[in-house]
Order: sequence, then structure tokens, then C-alpha cells
Amino acid sequence: MKIGFIGLGAMGRPMARHLQRAGHDLAVWARRPESVGDLSARVCATPAELGRCCEVVFTVVTSSADVAGVALGKDGLIDGMAPGSVLVDCSTIAPDAARHIAEKLGEKGIRFLDAPVSGGEQGAIAATLAIMAGGDAAVLERVRPLLECLGQRIVHIGPNGAGQVAKACNQMIMVAAIEAAAEAMRLAAGAGVDCAKVRQALAGGSAASRVLEVMGERMVSRDFSAGIEARLHHKDFGLVLEAARQSGVPVALTAVVAQQLNALMARGWGLDDTSSLLRVLELA
Amino acid sequence: MKIGFIGLGIMGRPMALNLIKGGHDVTVWARRAESMQPLLEAGAKGAASPADAARGNELVVSMVADAPDVAEVMRGVASAGQSGLVAVDMSTIAPAAARRIGEDLAAAGVDFVDAPVSGGEVGAIAGTLSIMAGGSDAAFARAKPAFECMGKNVVHVGASGAGQVTKAANQIVTGMGVLAVAEAFAFAAKNGVDRSKVREALLGGFAYSKILENHGQRMLDRNFKPGFKSWMHEKDLNIVMQTAHELGLCLPGSAATAQMFNAMVGSGLGEEDSIAVLKLLERLSGQE
Repeated sequence: MKIGFIGLGAMGRPMARHLQRAGHDLAVWARRPESVGDLSARVCATPAELGRCCEVVFTVVTSSADVAGVALGKDGLIDGMAPGSVLVDCSTIAPDAARHIAEKLGEKGIRFLDAPVSGGEQGAIAATLAIMAGGDAAVLERVRPLLECLGQRIVHIGPNGAGQVAKACNQMIMVAAIEAAAEAMRLAAGAGVDCAKVRQALAGGSAASRVLEVMGERMVSRDFSAGIEARLHHKDFGLVLEAARQSGVPVALTAVVAQQLNALMARGWGLDDTSSLLRVLELA
Repeated sequence: MKIGFIGLGIMGRPMALNLIKGGHDVTVWARRAESMQPLLEAGAKGAASPADAARGNELVVSMVADAPDVAEVMRGVASAGQSGLVAVDMSTIAPAAARRIGEDLAAAGVDFVDAPVSGGEVGAIAGTLSIMAGGSDAAFARAKPAFECMGKNVVHVGASGAGQVTKAANQIVTGMGVLAVAEAFAFAAKNGVDRSKVREALLGGFAYSKILENHGQRMLDRNFKPGFKSWMHEKDLNIVMQTAHELGLCLPGSAATAQMFNAMVGSGLGEEDSIAVLKLLERLSGQE
């Protein structure tokens, strides 16, 4: 199948490679042409040109504005994609923005899936991402074989926007867990106890989690180089709190964790891993 | 002075009336024609649009709901091409939005002052609002005679946006203040102690505040009529939290308070006064 890909960052690049390896014909567009690098794909001059030559286009970019820009902006995908073709957006953006983009594309007969992913760069490389899809079930079935090149757990959550709501829920749980792990490590150190031993013991019990395993290890070894850039979690928490506000749902813990992320950003650790929440605690 | 006034709601109507009482020549515009009627009866002229409210005037004042409304009416004001005009927005909006609107107006040759108020409907009627202004010295000086008809405590805080920063700071203090008094009352009641006695004792010490005195009394009377609706306080705290997010600023107390107001809106208390946060606390701890 002819597949387009936009967003060749830490997540997008391995995802694009998996699609290519599965035998698909890959075309790309990149804001900065140098980010195409060693990827052997047709390079298009605009998203519209990419849209014209592809049946399915994937986007993995940063913000709601980025997705709206490549999809609906000047020389955007909307100007090139044929009716019946599918845009699969794997970025993490606001549910509202996903619904708006779906609606605008729908007016031209272009189908849209919000399909944010969880699993990080490691999951993208290993093709073990969790994919949460929002949109028409029949559209999901059409692209499911492609998504199966990228991840193992593909769940249809509901209509457009529902995938992004699921991703917001994922981020709430994950970052709160990072904060909890950081506070536990801080408490252990403050009480004069060996953090590594505490983490080792906890990993076998009810508090065991993937966050404690991966992020906990980074905290113990004080390796704060990214994994996941904390600025992205900071961005996501803005989306989560806005969604909570729109629904009138109180999210007390999320709101406080968001403040710790604000402090993290203020200290200039946004490009480091979110395990840097430990360093925020050490400021007090 | 010849003044245009845009937005005649709970706050705007008495503020415009006070300008008329102060001897100013006032032209009004509101989205709904019936809102203009009481002002026309008091001697104001009616305008057909925001641009019309700006034309031929030295000053134009807006008092509307949110940033998109301010931006929209100010686009109209800018289109009037009235040279030497000073535009004043007294709504509560985000500091960043106010700065942007100020820049857009400057490009059209209009000076802008952001001048949000505190003091509620009571202060608006009595002409005793606190007015916190941001803008140039010259623009503030030109707007000052109008401010003095509407408010008592008029402070020129700084450059464009500084008024809104001050208002956001005000909402942090009042939001947490209302929650603090409500929590103190919930605490006293759960301990079987008379809250009115607690209030009386606290009024003489370092915990004294206007909020303890006025809002506290209304909590004791269980008078939850607005006043200041909790959905509006939620909106204002959202401005605080979004600004903190953009700046990278850790505000844990404001964050917790904002979630309490979020819960009020979500559970049907949005139209009640912000002191209804006491009801939410009582519900959470089974004190109804």
C-alpha cells in the first residue's frame, strides 16, 4: 500500500521503518528536510503532495496546532488526499482538536482516526506500542493491518476524540506514578535508607509497576537523560487539565502533579526525562 | 468627557450609570438591545455597534465576559478609525490575551488600558470598585477621570497586561481565602464547635480578613445567592493555572483550589456564590 508519513522524530522514525519493512511503499514530508536522514522514501515538497500519492497517511507530531497545520493548513493534507483515504494521527493532542480535524476532513470525504500511542521510544522500536483509536470502527478495520506493524494492543475506544481521551487518562496515571515513585525515593533517601534496596524490594510486591521499574531505575542511578522528554508530559498535562475542566470533573492529584511539572520546566529540565520530578522534590 | 461603553451586564450597567452620574457624555452598546434600555432612560445615547460606540468619543470602555468577546468588540473599536482614542477593557481575561489586544489596538493607533475590577456588583453600584490598571502613563491619565466615577481604589500597576496580572493575583488570594474560611468552618463543625463563635474569635486576630468577615457571615447564614458566581471564579482560576503552565510556575495551593471550583461547576453549584464551596466540603465529609 502507498503510505505517507509526517513526523520523523524519536517515535515516528522507527514507526515509519516498520511500515516500510512490512513491504509498504513509503512517502514522507518533513518540515526540516534533513530529518529524513537515511530513510529511503519518496520525499514530498508539501503535505498536499504527500496526500495526493497516498492511501493512508500517518502523523506523529507534537501539538494540536502542528496536526491542524499539516492537515488543514496551507498546502495541507486536505488539499491532496482523495475521498476515502485515511489520516491516522498518532500524536497526543486535545480531544477537541481531534474532533475538529475529523470534521473538516470529513467534509471532503477524507477519513480520520485519532490513534495516540503509549510505550515510548522503546515501544516504537520494538513495535509493541499500545494504540488507542478513536473514529469509525470500519475505518479502523481498514488500517488495522498497518497498526499491527506498530503495536500489539490496538483498542477501538469510541468515536473521534475518544482515542485522545484514553491517552489523557494514560498520561494522568503514568505521570502520577512517576511522582509517587519520586516521592518514595525521596522519602527513602531523607530517612537515610538505600533507595536501590527499597526499589528492589518494592518491585516484587503490590507497588510493582513499569514506572517503578524504568523510571525508578533512572532515579536510583540518577540518570536523568531522556527517555521521555519531560516537556512533552508537561504539554500533555495542559491537555488533561483542560479536558477535566470542560467536563467539570475534579482531578485533585493531577492538578498538584502538574505544578511539580511546572517547577521542573522552570528549572530547565524539560529536555530531560520525567524522572527529574525527583530533582524537583530535592529543591524543597 | 465623551465616553463609549460596551457591555451592560450585572457589572457594566451600574458602572455606566455611575459615569452618567459623574457628568460624562455616555454612548452605550450591548449585544442585546433590551440591556441598553435602562441606560437610555438615564440619559445615555445608543450606539449601533462597537465601532459606533467608539466614533466621536475620547474614551471607550468594555465590560464583557471573556477574552474572545473583548477581542471582537475591540476589533470593532479599532475599525472606527477614531484618532487619539483610548480603549479601556475592564473585563477579567488572561494577561497574555490583554497584551495581544493592546498590540492590535496600538497598530490601529488606539491606546489600550487593561483595567479589571474587584468588588462585585455591590462595589459597581456604589462606585467603590478596586480598579487595577495596566498601560502607558499617558493613557492611564486620560482614563483616570472615568475610573474615579466607578471606583475608589484606583491603582496604575504597570505596563499593558499588568492590570490582568494583578486581577489574577487577586483571584488567587480570594479563591484560596474562601476555601480557607470554608475549611475552618467545616473543621469547627466536625469538632462540634459553634462556627459563629469561631468566626467571632478569629476576627480579632491575625486570621482577620474581609473574606472571613463578609463571606464567613454569609456561610453562617447559608446565603449562597451570588454575589460572585462560582463558575466565574473557576474561569478566573483557570486563567491563573494556564498562565502558570505557560510560565513554568509551581502553584500547588491554587491548583487544589481550582479543582474544588471545577468540582462545584461539575456538580451543579456553578450558579451559586463561590462560598458554596462550603457545601462541597460538607458533601465530601458527610456533614450535610
